[in-house]
Amino acid sequence: MKEFELEPGEHVVLQVRKHWFLFLGELLPFAIIAIIPFALPKILPFAPPLAQYATLFDYSTPTMRAGLGVWLLITWTSAWGAFTRYFLNAWILTNNRIVNIKQRRFFSREVSSLFLSRIQDVTTNVSGILQSLLGIGDIKAQTAAEDVEFIMHGIPRPEQMRDLILKYVPEGDSKPTGI
Amino acid sequence: MPDQPLQPFAPPTALLEYLPDNISAGAIVEWALYIVFAFWALYTIIAIYHWLKYSHASWIAFPSIALHLFISFSLMAYALSGTLFI
Repeated sequence: MKEFELEPGEHVVLQVRKHWFLFLGELLPFAIIAIIPFALPKILPFAPPLAQYATLFDYSTPTMRAGLGVWLLITWTSAWGAFTRYFLNAWILTNNRIVNIKQRRFFSREVSSLFLSRIQDVTTNVSGILQSLLGIGDIKAQTAAEDVEFIMHGIPRPEQMRDLILKYVPEGDSKPTGI
Repeated sequence: MPDQPLQPFAPPTALLEYLPDNISAGAIVEWALYIVFAFWALYTIIAIYHWLKYSHASWIAFPSIALHLFISFSLMAYALSGTLFI
């Protein structure tokens, strides 16, 4: 990672991304789009007015092969682009700060840091059956300035992340509270 | 509300009849493929640029790029294999 320079004595403790299950959810539309050309010839006969068009989906003809190839190429490339964006979004916990790297889209990247010494409160939120079973949750790190907060959505094992954050918060007069 | 039953529309292949005589359907498909591949190449270059710039140290960067190129070229070969016979 070259988005930020580690200070002397600083080291990366943990790097997390959104939970893989949430990413699978993002892939679902692409999977549905990919199977449409194979599903349509089987579905159309069930709708009599449209049944005659089922014969159009004959992938032994050159034009339809080209069409299917392009369809799948666009779908695959879009899915891979989604994976790229998923992978380039990350939260990095060092022994000094939390670095939030947001890759909204290509050529739109935001890197922000929250120093652990400023953290007043760390809150985890796990709500929902799947989230509880898979250990997916949110973490909110709040500073003294009420409008400054870091929210990490959909990270795996948020309690572990919270404990690590609290572990590396420097000792002081106002030790933050973990909820 | 229309009270007549729906009439089947003409399939898209019927549009090919309106093409000028000196342009074949195969040529149109071929040029459409080239345009799609050009967009694919541009998108892929931009994505690879991001992978290499921001995740060059990650072990997953190169396998991800290699997998993308392999699957994409396979799909391109499949798409082009049809046009060879037009």
